[in-house]
Amino acid sequence: MQNWLWMIGLPIVAAPIIYVVGRTFRPGDGTKAGINPAMWVALLSLLATGFFTYQAWTAYIADATLETSIGMVALRADGISFLMATAILVLGSMATLYSGPYLAADEGQEKFYALLTAMIGMMIGLSCARDLFNLWIWFEGMAIASFPLVAFYRRNPAGLEAGIKYLVQSAAGSILVLVAIALVYSETGSLAYDGIVAASGRSLPMLAAGALFIVGFGVKVAMVPLHTWLPDAHSQAPSPISAMLSGVVIEAGLIALIRSLGVLQSVSNNWGVILLGFGALNMLVGNLLALRQTQVKRLLAFSSLAHIGYILLGIGVAASSYYFDDLNTGFFAGSGSFFHILTHALMKGLAFLAAGCLLYSLYISRGSHEPLTKNDLAGAARRYPLEAFGLSVAVLALGGLPPLAGFMSKWQIFVGSFMSGNPWIIGLVIFAAFNSVLSLGYYAPLVNLMYRHEPGEVVLAGKPTPWLMILPVCLLALAVVVLGFWPSLVQPLTDVAGFSLLQLFGFVR
Amino acid sequence: MSTALLLVLLAIGLPWLGALIVWWTGDQRPRLQHTIAVAFSAAAGVAAVFLLTQTSPDVVGYKELPIWGRAFGHITFVADGLGVFLAVIATVIGSLAVIFSIDYMKGEHQLGRYYAFVLFFIGAMVGLVLTNNILMMFFFWEITALCSYALISFHNDDPKAVAGGIKALIITQVGGVGLLVGALVSANVFGTFEISEFLANASMEVNPVPLTWMAFGCLAAAAAKSAQFPFQTWLPDAMEAPTPISALIHAATMVNAGVYLLARFYPAFEEVPYWTTAVVAVGAITALMAAVMALVANDLKRVLAYSTVSQLGYMVYAIGAGGVLASQFHLFSHSVFKALLFLGAGAVIHAAGTRDMRQMGGISKQMPLTRNVFIIGALALAGIPVLNGFWSKELVLETGLAHGPIWAYVIMLIGAGLTALYTFRCVTMVFFGEAHSEHHLHEAGPAMKTALIPLALGSLVTWLAFGPFSEMMKNTLPFHEIETEGTLEFVTKIVTDPYTMLTLFVVTLGLAAWCFRSKLGGLASALKFLGDAAQASFGFEWINRGIVSITQWCGETLRGTQTGLLNWNTAYIVGALVIVLAILLMGA
Amino acid sequence: MTLELWNVGLVTILVLLGVGFYGLLISRNLIKMVVALQILAKGAILAMVLAAKLQGWTVIGQSMALTVIVADTIVAVIAMAMAVQIRRHCGTLDVQSLSNLRR
Repeated sequence: MQNWLWMIGLPIVAAPIIYVVGRTFRPGDGTKAGINPAMWVALLSLLATGFFTYQAWTAYIADATLETSIGMVALRADGISFLMATAILVLGSMATLYSGPYLAADEGQEKFYALLTAMIGMMIGLSCARDLFNLWIWFEGMAIASFPLVAFYRRNPAGLEAGIKYLVQSAAGSILVLVAIALVYSETGSLAYDGIVAASGRSLPMLAAGALFIVGFGVKVAMVPLHTWLPDAHSQAPSPISAMLSGVVIEAGLIALIRSLGVLQSVSNNWGVILLGFGALNMLVGNLLALRQTQVKRLLAFSSLAHIGYILLGIGVAASSYYFDDLNTGFFAGSGSFFHILTHALMKGLAFLAAGCLLYSLYISRGSHEPLTKNDLAGAARRYPLEAFGLSVAVLALGGLPPLAGFMSKWQIFVGSFMSGNPWIIGLVIFAAFNSVLSLGYYAPLVNLMYRHEPGEVVLAGKPTPWLMILPVCLLALAVVVLGFWPSLVQPLTDVAGFSLLQLFGFVR
Repeated sequence: MSTALLLVLLAIGLPWLGALIVWWTGDQRPRLQHTIAVAFSAAAGVAAVFLLTQTSPDVVGYKELPIWGRAFGHITFVADGLGVFLAVIATVIGSLAVIFSIDYMKGEHQLGRYYAFVLFFIGAMVGLVLTNNILMMFFFWEITALCSYALISFHNDDPKAVAGGIKALIITQVGGVGLLVGALVSANVFGTFEISEFLANASMEVNPVPLTWMAFGCLAAAAAKSAQFPFQTWLPDAMEAPTPISALIHAATMVNAGVYLLARFYPAFEEVPYWTTAVVAVGAITALMAAVMALVANDLKRVLAYSTVSQLGYMVYAIGAGGVLASQFHLFSHSVFKALLFLGAGAVIHAAGTRDMRQMGGISKQMPLTRNVFIIGALALAGIPVLNGFWSKELVLETGLAHGPIWAYVIMLIGAGLTALYTFRCVTMVFFGEAHSEHHLHEAGPAMKTALIPLALGSLVTWLAFGPFSEMMKNTLPFHEIETEGTLEFVTKIVTDPYTMLTLFVVTLGLAAWCFRSKLGGLASALKFLGDAAQASFGFEWINRGIVSITQWCGETLRGTQTGLLNWNTAYIVGALVIVLAILLMGA
Repeated sequence: MTLELWNVGLVTILVLLGVGFYGLLISRNLIKMVVALQILAKGAILAMVLAAKLQGWTVIGQSMALTVIVADTIVAVIAMAMAVQIRRHCGTLDVQSLSNLRR
């Protein structure tokens, strides 16, 4: 087994071990439910994965080709894989660390950590897949691991409802993908990306396959109107899982979508245009739906729709490079989108984790599964200064205010897209900018509420937050601020990812 | 590192460092927080004043440092006259506002948040005016908006403060989209983030369409930031902020950023068709409209806010008429006397416990110092010789007459008369007449006095700096055409100009109208409809509310599509599949 | 021969997919929805096998079909497990009443 494959294999191998460790753990006297050691094993395996990823990265930028086939399974790491792996591992380890105290009182923790780690492995695998069926397997594996995680509170009716909705829609989407794969296979006789690209041409079944890919993966990406599962699942899942779902899982779905559309590059020139259309729809609908929400996590879930819209804008422009004079447009817009995937993982992860801190302190630690509403936040900063600060940083960054990371990544998407000179795309950029302003209409009141002087009753009755939950919040907040001042810190990653995107669509060799 | 760069970095970095420190100090040690805030803002002021000796049109900064990178330009600054003088205003008036806050904010909770944002604002404002990278300008621009929002709604328990803060944020952000477009055009069409390079390359002959977009985008951004027509509504509501904030952000510095933006880019935009006319129109409409609104308002801070809007209209008008120097000189005077007025008003409000002028009156004996300095500021605002406001307003009007359309000049002249009228009304209502409150009012505290006195002196003498001021502008702004004059020549010119007499006559008319207001009852009732319209902010509040409710209604209606029914959710999937397929078939 | 297989197979696939989506769209019972998902999956599996057959790679088709069956069974198992919990804690399997999360 080649060394670099450990960045995919390690979490998957570690998952059963984590399960066994967690299963054998017996909390001592029962009065003090401690953190399950499975968490530490999971964290350790993620850090080790990070180490292997870093090694693979150094090899990759030294011009090594990281490509392996195990039987039918063809894998190759490219820029997109490394960008996704970074986002997944950073957010994944933060979420794991955070889950320790968050779930300390719940049963079934061994399953939680095992599934979370497995899901992380599946997502990294997904971003490295080199043939369509293989892509589907990773995608389905990720989905299967995430279903029980969403419905983790299995005595909570709302959680179960969200879980089953997520499952049914996700499964329906994945079947559409399968049908698309069958269509592609029957037309081209190949499943490998390169083979399909070589053998495909404009034909009705291939176009149909494209539509099926868009809608099938689109369910997972939560493109409007396929998004209906997202607010339920993201708001009902345990907060670390909400962070993962919003921060990386839907983006992993997006990676699957652009990989499959890239394979169909010679079928149509308009994949990018369709993505742009969905992008516009996502921004507007996501922001408008979030505007009147009263539950914090549901509001954040809807804002994910809007952010998928911004990401689709850059990716759509890159995929439309047929229409532009030079490739710089696509490169800037595409790498901007990847930058936004990264910053969105940090910002939305931070938002859900910080909101989760408050949810934990105000409700969960008192044995309640009530949702955290906006009004509960009133005066939260007085008792929970770091948590409130983290949530404020997150929502203001999501709203695109400097000096926070969201401003910089949005700017890069805008500058790349604007470069196209196409009036429609320029219009879309301005539309996106106005949407960003609109989003402040629901982010800003959250901040105002938290910094009220008089804490509400709920806040006064709350319990303290464990420091192990505050630590990831602080680290992520720091990252969001640092990237706001120093956007080119991750430029090596986003650059190669943008280049890989152009490669994927066949614009560069 | 050159001295200029060092001083620039200090003037931005020191307040930001102070913001971090004052935030970490914690609210248990308010005295230490006051001290730290004063120390860091004063240090930034010193750095900015030293920068006055280093003005030059040269670009300094880090062209090699890979911190911002390709898609963001480089970290560069230019310490020219235009920027440095605004940086001095931001830091010096900033320090005075911080000193004033020692008394004003005594005993308030969450001082750390207050001072952190004030210091963060001061640094950002310095950065905004000194940077040579248009994206950095946008960056600092938005940070000032963020600070302004956070400070307006500092008292988060007060729903009016929260609403005012969010309104200010959203409206300036809507305008900010214009600057975003400008930055995008500069970066993509002109291929540079450097403002100086842009000014050197921009021409109507090569890229007429993008330049037009950029020019009007920047005008929208400037109008939103400087509370000009049609975005003026946020500034009066921003008066919910603590008064030192109103003085610093909403009178002396941030609202000037729009005027600064127009002045900075004037050489590139002046050839854009209709642009100068649009600027003149925006300035003139705002100046007149806000003056009328100031006349009917009863909230002391709102009167001052409307007057700020109106005076900013004068500056915008001056730029439209080609008078960059005149606009900046008026900006200079206005910053000083309006900060003085706001801080004076702050002292009064602090003592009287109300902002309603109808509840005040008769307090002139109890607060003699506050009264005296307030009157100095008021006379400067009204344009009475020999205070600084007189000279700069004359310069604005003279430039407008020489280069601008005559209709605009007439409007501005009427505006000058109205300014005198509402200023005297305000002073009488606040300080003279019958006392409305029984209890004894205490004079401003020592820290307040420390802040008020330098500003009062400034209002008396800053006009003497006209000679060096114009010299500095001329020598360091290579793209602007600026005529320099010595102070003496300037004074002679204004005094001998017959139109000065005309202006003074109009101002006297305004004064007379207030003195003989009882005899003008017929006129007043004839103009009642105008007053009512002004009370209703000429319908702009109605438009704002309409837009907000339509958006909210859309959001609420759209929520109906989220049925929560699994069958419907699958129906969306099937429907989307059909639509995507149809689009693809049509497209192919 | 190939032509006939192609036609028969295609019709079967379309019928299975149609029935499956019809079930998802109209059935109110959660168990029936899971059954509809299974029918959909069978349609997809058949499509894979047919595609492989058309290309003359029957072995690959079979191995893909097996993989899909395994993955799909896991999904079905999780779905049924959730359905049991839902019956227990929500007291219903009617998707119409499982609509507390909305708007």
